Amino acid sequence: MNERTRGGTEPPDDYLEAAIQRLLTEHTAIAEQGLTVTRRDHSLVVCGEVESAQRREEILRLVLERFPHLPVTVDIGLIRTQAPSEVEELR
Amino acid sequence: MVIRIAAVGDVHMDRDVLGRFRPALEELPDRADVLLLAGDLTRHGTESEARCVATEFGNLGVPVVAVLGNHDYHCDEVPRVIRVLEDAGIVVLEGTNLVVERDGTRLGIAGAKGFGGGFAGRCASEFGEPEMKAFIRTTQAIADQLGEALREMDCDVRVALTHYAPVPDTLAGEPLEIYPFLGSYLLGQAIDSAPTELALHGHAHAGSERGTTPGGVRVRNVAHPVIKQAYSVFHLHAPQAGRSGKVSAITRSGSS
Repeated sequence: MNERTRGGTEPPDDYLEAAIQRLLTEHTAIAEQGLTVTRRDHSLVVCGEVESAQRREEILRLVLERFPHLPVTVDIGLIRTQAPSEVEELR
Repeated sequence: MVIRIAAVGDVHMDRDVLGRFRPALEELPDRADVLLLAGDLTRHGTESEARCVATEFGNLGVPVVAVLGNHDYHCDEVPRVIRVLEDAGIVVLEGTNLVVERDGTRLGIAGAKGFGGGFAGRCASEFGEPEMKAFIRTTQAIADQLGEALREMDCDVRVALTHYAPVPDTLAGEPLEIYPFLGSYLLGQAIDSAPTELALHGHAHAGSERGTTPGGVRVRNVAHPVIKQAYSVFHLHAPQAGRSGKVSAITRSGSS
C-alpha cells in the first residue's frame, strides 16, 4: 500500500498543514522529521519514506484520528535495506 | 593503500526495524574495514531503542564507530544510550576520535553530533536573546571539539563523522527555509582546519549525496533515505606525497 486517501471535502488551510507537520514530528508514536506535507488540489499529501510498514500504518491512523474531516493522501514508501551493488572510489 | 569505509545514518531503530539491516550487514567483513554510523540511531533516544541498535549493528566482525543525532537526545537518556552501545562494542564519538589500523594504514575518525545555525551569509549569529546566543555557542563549541579531534590525530587518513551537515551542497532537495536546522558552516570550517580526506553526515533525509567543503574535502550525506540501501561503501585511497587533485568514481561492488 503506497497511497491511501480518506477524509472529508473541505480544503486544508496553512494552519492545518503546520499542525500535521508538527504531529508527524512531535507525536511519540511517529517522531518523523523527514516527511513532507504539501497541498494538492483540495487535499493534503503526506510523502516520504519510513523504516517499517508498521510506522506507515501508524502515521495514517493517527493523522486520520486527529483530523477526521480532512482529505488526506498518504504516499509513504519503505526505505530499502539491500547491500550496495557499487562502491565509490575516492582518490 | 586503500581503506574501505561503510557508512549509514538515520536508521531510527526500534523493535519494528530489527532484522531489516542484518542480511546486508552480514556481508560487511567482505566489503568494508569499518562501519560508521552518522547519528539518529534511534527514534526517541531511549535505552530500549539503543538495545535494538546494539542487536542490529553489534558483532559485525568489523569495528563500528558512531556519533549520536538529535533523535538520540530526545528522551534525555544519552548516557544510558551510550553505555548500551559501547557494551555492544560500538564506539561513540562526541567531540573525540579513534584511530583504527588496517594492513598498516592508520584510519583516523573524528566525530561529533554537530548542530545547526546555517551557512555562510545566511546563518544565525551569537547575538540578541540568551536562547539565540546559546544556540550558536552550542554549535561553535561542538565545531571546536571536532576541529581539535581532527587535528590531534596521528594517522594516515582522516575522516570526519557528524550527524548535522557541514556544507549546504548535500542539502539540495531540502526546503531552503530549514537549512539552518540541518547544519552549520562552522562544522565545515572545523573539517577544513585539518587535512581531512572525507566528511560523512546524515540528518537531511531529502538531501543529496555529494558535496565539497570550501577547502576541497569531499562530503557525503549517508542518511538512509538518501542512499536507499543498507549502507554505502567508499574506497578511500591514502594520499600520496607529490600527487595533487582528487578523483571520485563509482565502480561495481567487488571491483576496485
